[in-house]
Order: sequence, then C-alpha cells, then structure tokens
Amino acid sequence: MRAAAFIGRPNSGKSSLFNALTGADAHIGNFPGITVDVLEAKATLPSSGEAIVLYDLPGLYSLDPRLEVGSDERVARDFIEERARAGDRLVIVQVIDANQLALGLRLTRDLQKNEAELPVLVVVTQTDVLAKDGKEIDTDALTAALGCPFVATHARASDCREIVLGAIARAHTMTGPSSASSASSTSSTSEQEAWEPDALAASALRVRAPAPGETPHRTSRERTERVDRVLLHPVFGLPIFVLIMAGLFATVFLIADPATDLADAAMRALGQLLRRVLGEGLFASLVVDGVLGGVGTVLAFLPQILLLIALMDVLEATGYLARAAFLVDRLFRAFGLGGKSFVPLLTGHACAVPAISATRIIRDPRERLTTILVIPLMTCSARLPVYTLVVATFFGGSAFTRAAVTTGLYFGGIASGLVAALAIRRTVVRGKGLPLLLEMPAYRAPVLRSLFRRCWLEATDFLRRAGTIILASAVALWILLNIPVRGASAPDEPLIERSAAAAMGRALEPVTRPLGFDWRINVGLIGSFGARELMVGTMGVIFGVEGADKEPAPLVEKIRAARRPDGSPSYDRPAAVALLVFFVIACQCMSTLAAIRRETKGWKMPAFVLAYSYVVAWVLAAGAHRIAAIWW
Amino acid sequence: MSLEDLTPGAGARIATLDLPDVDAAMLRAIGLAEGERVCVLRRAPFGGPLHVRVGEASFALARGLASSVTVELDGPADGLV
Repeated sequence: MRAAAFIGRPNSGKSSLFNALTGADAHIGNFPGITVDVLEAKATLPSSGEAIVLYDLPGLYSLDPRLEVGSDERVARDFIEERARAGDRLVIVQVIDANQLALGLRLTRDLQKNEAELPVLVVVTQTDVLAKDGKEIDTDALTAALGCPFVATHARASDCREIVLGAIARAHTMTGPSSASSASSTSSTSEQEAWEPDALAASALRVRAPAPGETPHRTSRERTERVDRVLLHPVFGLPIFVLIMAGLFATVFLIADPATDLADAAMRALGQLLRRVLGEGLFASLVVDGVLGGVGTVLAFLPQILLLIALMDVLEATGYLARAAFLVDRLFRAFGLGGKSFVPLLTGHACAVPAISATRIIRDPRERLTTILVIPLMTCSARLPVYTLVVATFFGGSAFTRAAVTTGLYFGGIASGLVAALAIRRTVVRGKGLPLLLEMPAYRAPVLRSLFRRCWLEATDFLRRAGTIILASAVALWILLNIPVRGASAPDEPLIERSAAAAMGRALEPVTRPLGFDWRINVGLIGSFGARELMVGTMGVIFGVEGADKEPAPLVEKIRAARRPDGSPSYDRPAAVALLVFFVIACQCMSTLAAIRRETKGWKMPAFVLAYSYVVAWVLAAGAHRIAAIWW
Repeated sequence: MSLEDLTPGAGARIATLDLPDVDAAMLRAIGLAEGERVCVLRRAPFGGPLHVRVGEASFALARGLASSVTVELDGPADGLV
C-alpha cells in the first residue's frame, strides 16, 4: 500500500493540510502539540487514481535520538520506523510553515539523514500568510539546493490537493533521500551536506518591493508582537486573562440560560402532545415519562454545551492559550503543576476525556500525571445540566443570583483542582518538575468552517449518547419505577413508593442521610455513576412518573413542590448545596475513568481517582450540609 | 551573561548551553542553538517564565533554563514593535 506520513514542527499546519487533502476532521488548533495521536485517512492520487493512506503525525522539533523525553517526538519516530519495517511504501512529507522557513529546514536536514532511507518530500505551507507579509519563496532555488522534491502551497488554495498529492505520487517513484539527486550517490551526499538552513532560507525568501506610494507591510510577526504587548502587558496581562476567562463562562450562562429554558418548554409541549395522542396507558407513560422525561430533559442542555465548546475553540484557534500558559505558569508551579497544564485543565471544562489526551503536550511525566488526576475536578459540560437544574430550583429568583452561584461552582472546581494537585504532588507524585518550554504561535483568526465542523461533531456525539446510553438508562429506570417490590405489605402507598427503584434508593439512604438526600436523589446518584447528566434525566423520569396524574409543569416546579409524608418539603437548600458540592468533586464518569486507564496504562490511577473523589465528595458534601443548615 | 539577565529589547547571540545533554538537545532542536541571535521580549510577572524570540519563532522559556544559556550582547534586537 502506498502511504505518506506528514511530519513537521508543532503547529506548522500539518493537520490543516491533512484535512484539505483528505476531507478528514483532524482537530486543528493554534497551540503546539494539538495532534497527539497518529491520524489516518485515505485519499486518491489524481494522476493514477490509486488509493493512498495519509498519516498525520504529532509535531516534532527534531529526530535527535537523545530527545527521549518528548513523547510526541517518540510517537512520530517510532511510527516511521515501524512502517518502514513493515515494508510500507512510505514517503515522509515534511510540512514547513513558510513563515518559519529556516527553523523548518533544520528538520529537513535531520530527515534527509533518516536511517530508514525513506524518500522525503518538503511541502511549504501557509504561503498565503507569507504573501500578506509581502514575501514569497523562490521554489527553484530551494529545489536545487535541497536535492529533494519541494512544493509550496497553502491549505485553502484551490489547487492544494493536486499540488501535494501529485508531488507525493512523484516522490513514490524514488527509493530514498540519497537517490533524489540524479548525480552519483557520493556527490549527492556532499551536495546535501553543503546547504545550511539559515543561509538557504535567507536566499530563498524574496521580499516583494512595495509599489510606489504603498506603505510597507506590517508582517505577521509584527502584528503578533503588537497584540502581545497588550495581552501580555506586565501589569494588565493577568487581569485581562481573568476577564477573558470570566467572559467565557458568563457568556455561556447568559446566552444559554434562556436557550435552555426554551428547549425545555419545547420538550414539555411535545410531552403534552404525545399524551393527547397516546392516551393514558402504560405505553404512553413509557414514551412521555420514560423516554421524553429522560432523554428530552438532557437534550434541553445541548445549546449550552455547544456554546461552551464553540467559545473555547475560538479561544484556542486564536493562539491565546499559549499566552495563558505563559501567564499562569508561575501560579501553577506553586501547586505543583506548570503552564502547560493550563490547556488540558481548560479543555476539561468542556469534557475530561479529550482533556486527558491533551495532557500529552506536558513534557514532565509527574506534572502530566498530576494534571490527569485533577482534570476530573474541572466543571465539565456534563455537570452543567445538573448545576443549572439545582440552581434554578433552589436559588431561583434573579439571573444574577443564578449566575453568581454557577460562577462560584466553576471556581469551586478550579480551586479544588489546584488544592488536589498540591496534595497529590506532596504525597503520591513527589519530585521536581521540568521547566517550561513552549512555542508561542502567531495569532490567527479562527476559521468559521472548522468551528462549525467541531460543533457539528460535538452535537452528533451528544445526540448519539442521548439516543443510546441515556435512552437505555431512562427506559430501565422507568421499568424499575413501575415494578412493585412490596406489593402486598403496603397497598395504600402509591406504586412508585413501593417500586424496585425506590427500594434501591432507600438502601443507600443510611449513607446519604448526612447529605440530606432521599431515595430519589440516591437513584439519580446511582444513575449518574456512569455519566453525570443522567442525574437530570433520572429526575425527569422520576418526577414524570410521580406527577403523571397532575398538570404538566416544569421539572423545577415539580421538585420544589415535592413533599415528605409529614407535609414538609422533600428538599431544602442545605440538601441542594450538598448535592452541588458532591457533583463538584465526585468523578461520576465511566468515560473519564477509561481515559485515565488508557493514558496511565493500568487500573491503579482510575481506581485512585474514583476512591479519592467519592470519599472527599461525601465528606465535603456532609460538611456543607451541616454549615448550610445553620444558614437556612 | 546569561539569557535570564538580558534586558528586554537588547539583542544577543547564544554562546553556550550549560545544560544536561537532553535539555541542551531540546533547546537546539527548537532553535535556541549556539550562535543564534536571541532577544528577550518580556518576563512573566512574579518570577514567571521569559518570552524570548529566536529567528521567526518565539518561546516561553522557564527562568531556570534561561539562566543556563550564556549569551553575548550583540546590538539592539531586530525589528521590535
């Protein structure tokens, strides 16, 4: 099989090019080290119509065998060696950012000496940015000097596919880097040693003279340094950072809150409609209370989650996250983390699973492990539905109060993460950390197309989960709520109080009584052991089944109206506070534990996270319940 | 003098990398090699990392690393904005 492996410095534009050639969805950011796995996609060579496999490798600075610490370098090098051993007809495609020509050519020199003697093709990309700087590349000069095929293009060019795939096809006819030149092997070796990256880059870059009367161009580097003077200002840099972060979460709350209300109202209207059509039977209850109550309640939170993902994507695409890492490095060091931990921790606010993969950008193994262990404490989007529901139910009233409580929960997650990191670095993962070394990419405008693609992927993923796990557990719960286990003993009690689900929840009551939870919340906790958002779905099903004979009302009002047998409210604010605290800390997510197992290669770390987070969650929730009970 | 002591805005050339093999190799790989022109753009507050520029790229570099990079002053930095 013909194959080509894209390699290059981190953030040089490999993934953009890869996507342009294959139509794949490799995640593109503007932060060094976004590609952490080897991605694979098929393409068709335009000349022969032959299929070819393209691999997008993590970025690497060098093939120097001494660089054992950088796992990205190792992934790329191992991959190339393995494919070469397997006998693949592999071409190495080195992608160079045209704006960093000299730095890229250093890697070219390393690659031409590759032991596997694979053919090398150099693709200079982002020539559109270079053109804006008033510069262009002398292709002929480079081809002659390099002694290997060379093309220049950019990922948005209409002929990008033809240029790059055509060059790959031609490169496949070669056998190794030394045969690139038509001269004898001895002279070609001396020819390749002759060129020097900096001098060659300088001679190959042509500056287009500005037309008469035209003001000289401001280059991409100058623009970036100008923006940095503001965003990394010695005094205002940190306050700007805090404002950007606060703005991010405030926007999610302010825009998504009404959107979620709207989606929730739509689900209720659909429920009423279905009830009218289906009547009152058991089947109608399954559809309306079970499926719609469970899945629909969770679906209402989709807009909120998408908005958060979109905003974080924009922030990443601009290149600001590397600046944030620079700004917070000193603070994070105090907690045993480092600047590079910042990006995975921020990603963790959307979802812990990609965040745990993203820790591969951290060079220091101790810092990386610590980051993995505290990522589950970040306020991921699956917690948002729970927070929104509880806050709206018990801290309703003004939007300001709700915003303040939600913000407090975000900070609670971050603070508990930092404290946990400090505790972990003092006990489980002791030792000195490696110093920060991080490339600061040029600022770029986010590309709308890849933003929409990202949101689309998130939305379909969310809908798939809603249609499978959440649907299945909602139906299972509905069944458990309709099976009586104490049939004869208490016939005057409503069916739901005698159901199997109630029995399960009651079995947990001795443990959760100090937290102020009843069997309903306990059932929710059991359900949310697998995934947090199931808590909301569970509440939707329970109160749907329970209140099926009453007027349909928002879930918030049903929870508020719930009464104990003695007539007092089932839930009070102290119980709500305890529930929130519990959700801040507990790692109720199977996917996260699986991701930790994958990255740490064993069950020890996931078991540790599960144990510490549940114990700490219970202790803090019980404490919060006691303190809140004094207040209210 | 070391890169850590370099005044922002001043240009310099890297003389030696007094670091363990692995760290020195990493710095050379990203572009901070002997003979390269460097400048310090800024320092992060509260003793945080340095923001250094070398060639067309810029890096956040911990002070601990910068203090082990010996530089020689070489005129003002190029093209500061």
